[in-house]
Amino acid sequence: MTDGSLRIAIAEDSAILRDGLVQLLVDRGFTVTGAVGDPAALRSSVAQNPPDVAVIDIRMPPTFTDEGLRLALELRARHEGLGILLFSQYIETRYAADLLADDAAGIGYLLKDRVADVSDFVEALERVAVGGTALDPEVVTQLLGATRRTDSLSVLTPREREVLSLMAEGRSNAAIAHALVVSEGAVEKHVANIFAKLNLPVSDKDHRRVLAVLRFLES
Amino acid sequence: MSPGSSEDSSVRVRIRGRELSLAMTEDQTLRMRAVVRMILHEPFTRRVWSELGFFLLSSALAGAGLFIVAWTMGAGLILAITFFGFAIFALSLRCARGIGGMQRRLVRNMLGEAVEDPQAFVARPGFLGWLQSCLRDRVAWRAVAYLALKVPWSILGLFVAFSLWWDAFALLARPIFDHGGGAAPVWGLASNFFPSLSFSGGGLKGELAGLVLGAVFFFAAPWVMRGFVNVDRLLIRNLLGPDPTAMRVRSLEQARTQTIDASAATLRRIERDLHDGTQAQLVALAMRLGMAKEKLEEDSEHVDLDRVRELVDAAHRGAKEAITELRDIARGIHPPALDIGLEGALATLAARSAVPTELSVDLSTRPTPAIEAIAYFCVAELLANVAQHAMASRASVSCAQQGSWLRLVVRDDGSGGAQLTTVGSSSSGLAGLTDRVHAVDGRLHLVSPPGGPTVVTVDLPLTS
Repeated sequence: MTDGSLRIAIAEDSAILRDGLVQLLVDRGFTVTGAVGDPAALRSSVAQNPPDVAVIDIRMPPTFTDEGLRLALELRARHEGLGILLFSQYIETRYAADLLADDAAGIGYLLKDRVADVSDFVEALERVAVGGTALDPEVVTQLLGATRRTDSLSVLTPREREVLSLMAEGRSNAAIAHALVVSEGAVEKHVANIFAKLNLPVSDKDHRRVLAVLRFLES
Repeated sequence: MSPGSSEDSSVRVRIRGRELSLAMTEDQTLRMRAVVRMILHEPFTRRVWSELGFFLLSSALAGAGLFIVAWTMGAGLILAITFFGFAIFALSLRCARGIGGMQRRLVRNMLGEAVEDPQAFVARPGFLGWLQSCLRDRVAWRAVAYLALKVPWSILGLFVAFSLWWDAFALLARPIFDHGGGAAPVWGLASNFFPSLSFSGGGLKGELAGLVLGAVFFFAAPWVMRGFVNVDRLLIRNLLGPDPTAMRVRSLEQARTQTIDASAATLRRIERDLHDGTQAQLVALAMRLGMAKEKLEEDSEHVDLDRVRELVDAAHRGAKEAITELRDIARGIHPPALDIGLEGALATLAARSAVPTELSVDLSTRPTPAIEAIAYFCVAELLANVAQHAMASRASVSCAQQGSWLRLVVRDDGSGGAQLTTVGSSSSGLAGLTDRVHAVDGRLHLVSPPGGPTVVTVDLPLTS
């Protein structure tokens, strides 16, 4: 992250959406380093003018399947510390699993619909920029549903499960407290209970919690 | 005895010195001569001998085959109380299939009958699977049925044919060997069917009658033989050839696969259209409204109303565009114009076409909805092609009923050179159309010489 505003690059093949995103980000005071429509263009844009976060559409030319995902994995391997926000019309659990396979730091995976709630979207973007995680609630639901060890989650109370879902989205304790309209202290207690019940080591960084949660889900 | 030569308009047939003269017209004469020549030549043609050879060989084969199959089947049935019996039964069926194959080769090689091989035997895995496949092998059961019908038919056929030949030779040879007037060794059909003709009576009259009958037998024998062989051919075609039901099933399976592929491709196209068009439009729309909402939530005194208006304006435009796109996509799935009938729908297409288009429709029966839809999409696609590629100034569409077929002809006066299967996007539409048309057993024919004009003819069955 540079001293000034966050620098964002966009790869999205739909011109309408791309223009809208640029407008939104500029409006919110971000710097858009490049807005392109295909993987190759983003590759050169990132190389020439490195952004803090690359917002990438998963379905892009030429085959409109998972170009964006492959590009994301490639860019992460090449540019250390680059935040990636994957952007998709649908959520595919497989993609999420691929993406989070080694490290969930600086990764986001959101449904495109989320841009409608501008503040949430911008917040997610900022979280990814500083090495946090932003997972769509849909992704979390699917990952929770996809895991074969759901029965082990039955040890959690409904409230704890709610807290776990929000944690998995990458939210901090304060944000969780805000979302559930409880005190931060209450959330901390829930989190401690969850870790205790699921035998997970507590860590000091937000995204490590997500990592832990996901590692548990994927096991 | 020899065919008489014709002079003027009469045919003369000389039989043992006597001359028969028949007055006829020229045309009848020629035809008569052809028939007579055919009848008289027939006993000496190669074909008769190969038919006789075939009938003898295939009868022997069928007899031996039925003997083996019947015995092994019987043994299998008796032993069916043990597992062993089923295996024998299955082997017996395999044997029947093999004999069926030999019969097929025989008729193919000796008579040139074009009988196709039936579907090959495919055994399921494992011994039990093999057993089950054998017992359920329709081809084998049909071969058994063939043997069961063929053997009695052969016995009858051989008896009749040889009786005729034998009688013919016996009757014709009697004057040579039997001048004394004694009874010739006549047996077979003649003595059974005509017991009153004892042929033992002397005199010229009796002798002559015997000779005439012998000649009739001699020349009739090949035709009777052919009758038996033809029935046998019929049996082979129907019982040893490919099962018509199985063939129909196979062709239906193919058509079904094509249809499924085509509809999957259609669904994919619709998904793509929705994803790239409407969905993106709506996301952008929601995003603009979200931005406008946030602006309005700011401190009321600092609200940038111009900016909000701009955003709402853009959102409004986007909403209208999304509606238009959605309508186009819906029309691509099922054109609402078709609800009023093909004629009205085609009229709409012709009116909307970028190139001035003349339409003529002549339909007395309404095609089924599926055919109407295919006809509609064909015309839509072809007119779109005309507008995009043909550089035409006029086009015409005709839609007419021909029996149980619907014929669409789309013509343009453009530059021609259209192809069904070329690389590049310009022709992919035509290839897609061909698939659609084939899926309902229709045909698409394209004539497009360089320089034009281009004529595309599509024939569709009225009912799919």
